[in-house]
Amino acid sequence: MIRYLIRRLNLFLATSLILFIVMFIAVSKFPVDRIAALTGVQQPTAQQITRITQDYRLNDGQISQFIAYLQQRLDGDLGLSSTSQNLILDELTAVLPASFELGFFAGLIAVLFGIPLGVLASLSTNKITQHSIMAITLTGYSIPVFWLGLTLSLWFGVQLGWLPISGQINLLYEIDSVTGFLLIDTLLSDSKYALSAFLDALQHIILPAVTLAVLPFTVVVRITRSAMMTIMEETYIKAAEARGLHTSTIVMRHALPNAFIPVLKNLGLMLGAFASYAMVVEVIFSWPGVGAWLVSGIYQRDYTVIQGGILSVALLIIFLSILIEIMHTALNPISRKELYAAN
Amino acid sequence: MPLLDIRNLTIELDTPHGRVKALERVSLTLNPGEIHGLVGESGSGRTLLAKAILGIPGHNWTVQADRMMWDGQNLMEMSARQRRALMGCEMAMIFQDPMSSLDPAISVGAQLIEAMPENKTISWWKRAADKRINAQQWLHKVGIKNTQKVMSSYAWELSDGECQKVMIAIAVANKPRLLIADEPTNSMELRTQAQIFRLLSKLNQLQNVSILLISHELETLSQWCDRLSVMYSGQIMESGPTADVIAQPYHPYTKALLDNIPDYSNAEHHKTMMHTLPGSAPALQHLPIGCRLGPRCPQAQKHCVNQPSLCHQKDRYFACHFPYHNEPCHDEPLTKS
Repeated sequence: MIRYLIRRLNLFLATSLILFIVMFIAVSKFPVDRIAALTGVQQPTAQQITRITQDYRLNDGQISQFIAYLQQRLDGDLGLSSTSQNLILDELTAVLPASFELGFFAGLIAVLFGIPLGVLASLSTNKITQHSIMAITLTGYSIPVFWLGLTLSLWFGVQLGWLPISGQINLLYEIDSVTGFLLIDTLLSDSKYALSAFLDALQHIILPAVTLAVLPFTVVVRITRSAMMTIMEETYIKAAEARGLHTSTIVMRHALPNAFIPVLKNLGLMLGAFASYAMVVEVIFSWPGVGAWLVSGIYQRDYTVIQGGILSVALLIIFLSILIEIMHTALNPISRKELYAAN
Repeated sequence: MPLLDIRNLTIELDTPHGRVKALERVSLTLNPGEIHGLVGESGSGRTLLAKAILGIPGHNWTVQADRMMWDGQNLMEMSARQRRALMGCEMAMIFQDPMSSLDPAISVGAQLIEAMPENKTISWWKRAADKRINAQQWLHKVGIKNTQKVMSSYAWELSDGECQKVMIAIAVANKPRLLIADEPTNSMELRTQAQIFRLLSKLNQLQNVSILLISHELETLSQWCDRLSVMYSGQIMESGPTADVIAQPYHPYTKALLDNIPDYSNAEHHKTMMHTLPGSAPALQHLPIGCRLGPRCPQAQKHCVNQPSLCHQKDRYFACHFPYHNEPCHDEPLTKS
């Protein structure tokens, strides 16, 4: 197992290195002054120029420059935002938790509703139920997320007026940032409006989270269904029936743990698509997350923001997909069989 | 009263090529405390019969029967819930492929404990520990020495023989009255085979468990069984007490099976051709008209295009118009218009 973990770590490092190489090459192609592209300093003084040239070894060869670039980035020096002149790292730590919150909430919705519905679709003998669930998931799978987000905010936000359509919380509430996750911060806050602030934050997250959850939800339903269909015909399910176990026990104890394995695998594969959908959703609902921040950086030609955003999002995706793979192996005894190289 | 009495059980399967009769008018009687052997080649519907008795049909099955009496109750009239209640405690089954009959994602011990009966006399918080001890005892009884290790491992970490023993422990833990053993020794070495057969016969003698033993090896079955039923292509060909059937087979198929048993005592038989019936078992989509053995039968005559019905004579059943060593059954006229 340790060997396996080391190999996964190795994969993470190698992929990250390639990412840094790509970023480095891209930076040299940005249509601005190289110093501005690397650090975000717009009008550098002579002193700054000397220091930056020294730090990034701009007078040396490409490889030496890349090593200096890598050192700076790994030190956590992502430069300044050229529009706001704040440290990129500070801006990033401010926006990342909001994205995590949204993504986690959407994922939770997708799994909590998707798996039971998938099980229901696989167990139901009624053709109408089966086909309608499949039709709904196929529709959900093929709806473009920007259209869905706009339509939902038009219906529930504007026409019905049930839910707020932009931002993370009403501006009236002043919440101190402790963890960065607003739903937790509002609960931790000792303000007397803490509870109403929490409810307000909850209302704000519903529309973007539902919009973002549609794609993973449909995938989870379809994969759970197909996995359950095959597993319910397996011999060990028949054997469990022959033991006289109740159907619900069989589904909960024997079928679901086995069906969850392919679902987890597909969630890992979907991370990239999920992240790009999250960006679109953040822009639509003005969610103060990394996606909206990155998109505004792109509009403003803020090259350091673009670098920082891409770097953080890509590193996160690499890390999470490797984490999911490790979880997949840990949860799934069958894949460990391959690890031990037993037939 | 027989423990299990099946009359004219027919199972039809819905396949992409239409509906086929995988099992046709099968009758089987099983007395309490006997070991009943069911012999037939693969594809003859033995597993189907076993699953139909137990009540775990596949999704494309249509099961019909005149009656399926279990200890005086008709299984056909029971609801799925009632039959599920019978499974495990009254009837249990050992499956053909032990490795795939155990859930790969849960340890063997957890599945074993799941099957243990609940001891209602002790307080509920002690029951889990009690089940665990019980499970270990059963594992020990079926001949696994390293119980702790086996219980904590997964099915694919064990050998086929160990898995089969675990399955047997699961099946017998609730002390069923009928144990259906579907090829329990398939793909196992001889020593384990003998162990498992000894175990089954011990269960039969000590706990009075009736056993329906399914196999394709007539030789092994004849050693352990009280009664034999021979199946071919989804129909019962012959049935009767083992000694009688072996000594004097009525049906040409039984005779062919007996001839297939190699005889090592005779030196002359060295390197001679083995006796086999010509051809191979028909596919379910292309069954012959009349007697299903007809085209391969050495005794076949013109009359064999009519399907023979199972005929009862002195504790023996056979389905043949022209049986060996016996008069034809006169239940039906030989000349049918």
